[in-house]
Order: sequence, then C-alpha cells, then structure tokens
Amino acid sequence: MREEVFDVFARKERGEPLRHIGYVDAPDAALARVYAWNTYDEERWFEMCVVPRAAIIPVNRTDGPFAANAKGGAA
Amino acid sequence: MAAFTDEELKARVQDGYIVESVDEMTEGYRKALVVQLTVQADTELMSAPSYWMAARHAPSTNTQVSAHAIIQDELAHANIAYRLLEDLGESKEQLVYGREPHEFKHPYGFDQPLDNWAELVVANGFFDRAGITLLSDVYQNTSYGPLKRALVKVDMEETFHLRHGEVWMRRLAKAGGEAREMLQRAVDWMFPMTLEWFGLPDDLKRHSGQLDYRLKGLTNDQLRQVWMSSTVPLCEGLGLKVPAHYDEQSEQYVLDYPFPCQYDAEAKHWLFEDGEITWDQVFERWKARGPMNEIYVESVRRSRGTLEGWLN
Ligand SMILES: [Fe+2]
Ligand SMILES: [Fe+2]
Repeated sequence: MREEVFDVFARKERGEPLRHIGYVDAPDAALARVYAWNTYDEERWFEMCVVPRAAIIPVNRTDGPFAANAKGGAA
Repeated sequence: MAAFTDEELKARVQDGYIVESVDEMTEGYRKALVVQLTVQADTELMSAPSYWMAARHAPSTNTQVSAHAIIQDELAHANIAYRLLEDLGESKEQLVYGREPHEFKHPYGFDQPLDNWAELVVANGFFDRAGITLLSDVYQNTSYGPLKRALVKVDMEETFHLRHGEVWMRRLAKAGGEAREMLQRAVDWMFPMTLEWFGLPDDLKRHSGQLDYRLKGLTNDQLRQVWMSSTVPLCEGLGLKVPAHYDEQSEQYVLDYPFPCQYDAEAKHWLFEDGEITWDQVFERWKARGPMNEIYVESVRRSRGTLEGWLN
C-alpha cells in the first residue's frame, strides 16, 4: 500500500497555540484524518489538523524532516 | 552528512544538546537509536495480541472496554515508534511484515500466554510498570528531540494501564479465596519474568553506547531497583508473596532467588531449585523465543497479503 506522511497539529483549548503533536502514514487525506484522530486520542482536542508533509516548505533550514522541499519547494 | 564526529556528538549530548534530525547524527548514534526504538516498537506491538487474547477473560462489558482501550493505546504506541524509525531511514513495512517472528526484539515476557484475568491485570501492573520505568527514563534523559516529544502521550497512557493493573490486583487480593490464589500464581511467574526483562546486570554489561549518546540515563540495575521500589511495596501491601525484599543496610532491594535462573514455559514455573544459570543460557532461551511468539506475530499480520492484493 502506498502511503505518505501526514503531520498532525492540535491544540487543547481555545487560546492555545496549534502544536505539532506527531505524524501518521496514510494512503490519502481521508484516512489520515481517521488515523490521526484515533492515534492521538490522549486529549480531548479543541482542534486537530493534518498536513501532508510534502506540503510543508521549510524557510530557514535545509536539513531535517521537511528537507525535501528545502529548495523553494512546490511553487 | 553528520555535522560532528562521534566524539564531538557524545560530548555535546552530555552537555544537553538535543538532536533533531538524522542529518545531525553520526552512524554510531543512529544505530544505537535504531536498536533502542526497535525494541520499544516491537514491545508495544507484541503487547497488543498478548493483551487481546487475554481480554476475552474480562469479567464484564465494562472491563472489556478498558482492556480494549489499552490494546488500542499499545497499537498507537507501536505505530508512533515505527514512524520514528522511518525518519531514521528504516522501513516500517520491512520491520512489521518482513521479519521472521523470532527476529522481533520484544522481551521474552511477551512470548508467554496470558491465560486468565489475573494474568492480564498483573501484566498491566508489572509489564506496563516496566514499560513506564524504561520509557520515563528515556523521556527524562534522551538527547533525541522527536522521541522525547512522542513519549509525552505514551507515558500518559502507560500510567492509565498501570492503574488498571493495580486497581484490579487490589480487587482480586481483597476478594480472597480462589481469586487471590489465581492472583498469587500470576505474580509467582510474572515477577521474576519482569526482573529478567531489564537485562544484563551492570557488572556484566557490554558497552552499548546508549548511555554515551544519552539515549537513556539509568543502568539496567538501577532500572530494576526503580521497578522494585514500586512493585515490592505494592505486593507486600496486598499480602502477596514476592521473592525480593528491601535491605535496610544496603538500602537496596535484594532478590531472594537465584538470578538469573531457568524457566519452564510450559508449566509457567521458575526453577529456583536448580540454582543460578549464566546469562548466556538466558540469551539462548530468549533467542529460542517463547510458546506464543509465532501466534502473536501472525495474529497482527495474517490478512496483510490477501488484502494488499485486492487493494493494489
Ligand atoms: Fe504502550
Ligand atoms: Fe501499556
């Protein structure tokens, strides 16, 4: 099964920053939402989002998990 | 390309430097971390079928729900650990589906059948306590940032598993009679099983690098002491016999049986009467794996091939 990485962001309560809390592998965005909700169920999150890692464009680093898009990334 | 030499990296992490990505690692650091995470991931994964098969002994629908909530947590923990391994260049696919059952790195305790409700709750009380002991040491000391952050969730949930175990141990102990005897029998084989899990004593320990790279903080013997400092008082408080006691003079817990010793997996019985064996004999037993090894591994992946074929 071809899967891609989705990074998971969440905030516990109103007024709190959205934090990177982990990541899941999923074949598409619909399943990524389900996997993220079921995997990171340690809190009653006020808000949770998933972002395909391929869409994250680093601004000031050329190494690390998001390095694939370091050179300007997707236009 | 690593930014530091191995010696520089060791010095840095001892000073509190946090490694954030594989690009900053030396090969020695990466390998030591892969070994640590593989044990962690495999342990989480194999605890799931072990608890799952035992959950059918749950005495009510409510207890079924808590037992399955724990299993769901363990699968999520496994997933998170394998995901961390992928960031280090390892393949989750290969690790989960490409290995022979005996190649998994989980402790021998998760190769054993859990045959009744008492054994499941003592597994929560003892094995999950061992998990917390090991992982909270990693949480407090690890130099790898992504692992530290991932462990916040894991530690929170492990604490719940442990409470589940302790609450039920208390209930069974209080009930007396057959419930209490069943509990004592579980404790009899599972207490030495957990102590062995922490591995080679410090005076025999080969150098692993895990301390040098600051992937953990405490030695095996120290971790064994931490585990006993909670578990022995718990059992004594419930009137359960355990083969260890606190020694006032050395201010340490000491074992009242030959350690390590041989185990009869069929009878679920430690052969105290046959005396001490060598750690090489222990490794031999671990390597041969226990009675449920293949059954547990196959139970988490039996449908993979068929479904894969349909979906692609
Ligand atoms: Fe776990
Ligand atoms: Fe657990």
